[in-house]
Amino acid sequence: MRSFLKDNALSLFFLGLFLLALAGQSVAGNADYNERQLAEGGTSLSWAAYVTSSDFAVDVAENWQSEYLQFLLFIMATVWLVQRGSPESKEPGKEGTESDSDQQVGRHSEPDSPAWAKVTGLRLKLYSNSLGLTMGLIFLLSWLAQSLAGRAAHNAEQLARMQDPLSWWEYVGSADFWNRTLQNWQSEFLAVLSMVVLAIYLRQRGSPESKPVGAAHKATGVEG
Amino acid sequence: MNRKITFIATMSFLTGLAGCASAEQGDAGQAAERFHSAVAGGQGEQACALLTPRAAESLQNGDQGCAQAVLSLNLSGGAIRQAEIWGDEAQVRLERDTVFLHRFPQGWLVRGAGCQARGDLPYDCGVEG
Repeated sequence: MRSFLKDNALSLFFLGLFLLALAGQSVAGNADYNERQLAEGGTSLSWAAYVTSSDFAVDVAENWQSEYLQFLLFIMATVWLVQRGSPESKEPGKEGTESDSDQQVGRHSEPDSPAWAKVTGLRLKLYSNSLGLTMGLIFLLSWLAQSLAGRAAHNAEQLARMQDPLSWWEYVGSADFWNRTLQNWQSEFLAVLSMVVLAIYLRQRGSPESKPVGAAHKATGVEG
Repeated sequence: MNRKITFIATMSFLTGLAGCASAEQGDAGQAAERFHSAVAGGQGEQACALLTPRAAESLQNGDQGCAQAVLSLNLSGGAIRQAEIWGDEAQVRLERDTVFLHRFPQGWLVRGAGCQARGDLPYDCGVEG
């Protein structure tokens, strides 16, 4: 048990943070929703009703989609683009999907390589892109969920203002949808840019996200 | 077999949701119709009882109470053409009116009637609250 906790401490730490933050968001979001309802003469919602409402769903989904997009782009862009001096980047000259030997696939696989890395054809192709495909799928599903929940929440506001509700197509072209989407995207892209560039010159001793403290600024793809 | 059960369960769930949605639309539509029937029948008090407190209050003007004021607006409804519900809000399109309603614990109450569309702007309503 102790060994399990130690071996999975990083995942468990973030799982715990995620659950605490989601619970906190549901409580704060419910209080904020009820304050607005009170001011507008509407009816307040219980916590249980709020966490199953479109208002909560859109707030959660819009953040999820942008996080998964951030990691999807980071995973895919670092295949083809490099940043000299950044531990987040491959060394210049290694751009692309690399050789089978470098990737230890097919006849270059090791005895303990995953089963689908030892074969060729469609299974190898799928497994070789499984991380990007999965992150991309979760991004698309989260973005779809944002559009559906966002439309429901937006249409309730439209009707409360005595305006016509929007169809799904109208909503995905609306200012509300793109404001929610882009305000999350810009912050994610800035965070990635900061990490890629700051890690060239700054260090965090002991972190694999940083170069070793004594590594040269121009050293690329070195993790500490 | 498992797939079949999952499919049946999913379809039952979706059918159930559709059933709920259509029952809700029916309730909102009936509330809009009851309001217009009361107005058409000259029953101002009854019509005002179907308004939200804010909408009823907005009709009170000096000596003229809600019951008199709501009849003086010459509202006309007609048959239901379409009803949409989002959250606790509903819009019911009748042949000659568009009615906005809000869901309260006791049921749907009219918050806007005698409404004219103004493009992207909010509807201009004779009863509004």
